[in-house]
Amino acid sequence: MVQTETRPIQTQSSRVGIVDCDVHPTPRSIDEIKAYMPMPWRDRYTGGGRGFFSNPVHGSRLDSKPASGGPAGSDPELMREQLIDQFGVAYAMLLPRAFCNLHPDPDFGTAIAAAYNDWLADTWLSKYNHDGVFKGAITVAHQDPQAAAREIERWAGHPHFKSVMTDSGARAPFGQRQYYPIYEACEKYGLPLVIHPGTDGMGINVQPSPGYPTHYIEWHTCLSLNFQAHLVSFLTEGVFERFTGFKVALVEGGVSWLAPLLWRLDAEWKALRSEVPWVTKPPSAYLRDHVRVSSQPLERPDNDEHLLKVLEMMDAEHILMFASDYPHWDFDSPTHAFPTLPKEMRQRIFSANAREFYGLA
Amino acid sequence: MARHIVGRVSEILPGTSKIVDANGRSIGVFNVDGRYYALLNRCPHQAAPLCQGAVKGMALPSKPGEYVWGREGEILRCPWHGWEFDITTGRSIFSPHRMRVRTYEVTVESTDVAEEERVETYPVTVEDGLVILHA
Repeated sequence: MVQTETRPIQTQSSRVGIVDCDVHPTPRSIDEIKAYMPMPWRDRYTGGGRGFFSNPVHGSRLDSKPASGGPAGSDPELMREQLIDQFGVAYAMLLPRAFCNLHPDPDFGTAIAAAYNDWLADTWLSKYNHDGVFKGAITVAHQDPQAAAREIERWAGHPHFKSVMTDSGARAPFGQRQYYPIYEACEKYGLPLVIHPGTDGMGINVQPSPGYPTHYIEWHTCLSLNFQAHLVSFLTEGVFERFTGFKVALVEGGVSWLAPLLWRLDAEWKALRSEVPWVTKPPSAYLRDHVRVSSQPLERPDNDEHLLKVLEMMDAEHILMFASDYPHWDFDSPTHAFPTLPKEMRQRIFSANAREFYGLA
Repeated sequence: MARHIVGRVSEILPGTSKIVDANGRSIGVFNVDGRYYALLNRCPHQAAPLCQGAVKGMALPSKPGEYVWGREGEILRCPWHGWEFDITTGRSIFSPHRMRVRTYEVTVESTDVAEEERVETYPVTVEDGLVILHA
């Protein structure tokens, strides 16, 4: 990787404030990414997201587009003003949107992931990061788990890469064994896996609803379905028995479904345990040690009491981590997204849970 | 309630708006087909700068499979979550009785009347009245 940092970066001392577990930095143009790609990928890469199921209104906060030009999320100073400084964010967990997981050619997907990692390391994790507020995720292409493991190894030990990320869009549930090289590397280097929506039903990936829904509102609402399927797969395949140090964060996959899904799975397990005998305790009992859920977009029923009960039922005090999704359109404001929470629960959701999970000071 | 000079009529033409500070409150003044409306620049949902949103029409309630576009220029969309508000009433489209943004009265006065309170930076012409926000 090319080292271009000009100022010493703060890495040791603790920062005061909340932790935002889903923040999206964006290259100013795809040329920033292409610069890190070897041939032939540099010629072939044209950027691009998922192609359809775009938000019909706007995809990012309109006020997040830099006045100087470039897309939303491309200007670190504006992000600092609108997120870090306005809300007192101690650490922003950066999740770039590489869309590498939709490509049928695993080498292409791996090359895109690597270029995004080089770009993030040289910009947001160094040049733009004099105070250490920005922490990154190592993007991997899960089409080629062995290559993904090598990519994790390439960055292991970097002071600001704190997780490994992939899209929830996939060809098979994430508990299955073809993915294990990724989890083995995550466990070896103490990096949690972050799963973020993005390429569900796109390119080579299966759509988690029966066929393709007609509208964005359907597709976006049903993103939770993939997360539910992945979680059930992790738990029943015994991934957390095999990789006892492996941890997963389900980011932007919804919140309120968690408790009832686990009730259902626990109930099934009482009768069907013998089908998956490596699951040695109720599936829900693995959550505190291995799984975290991020909050945005937080469901908000009309009655706040209903949400507070849901949070209590899902053990949110230990499982939930705040996320804003800045600068995307469904940004959750740290000061307005939640109803008033019990003090200890609020402190853990907005700070302690993420600091413990990602190993932040 | 105080009077705030927003600007001259020629400055806020139909289809345009201006965001002003009224004693610490940010308020958007909109010209919809020659009528002026003022909304608090703070979305009642998550406090976004509402008046920075796009002004458009809306897909009117219709039968399944039909698209009926209407009310062009009367609908303000929040720049964050895209919630739609009726500029003429401040009421949201999805829940007009429960979700609404604060509105204020706007008048247009001749420059003669308003002259005594005009600020140095507003040169007065006889034919161009002043837009006054009552907030």
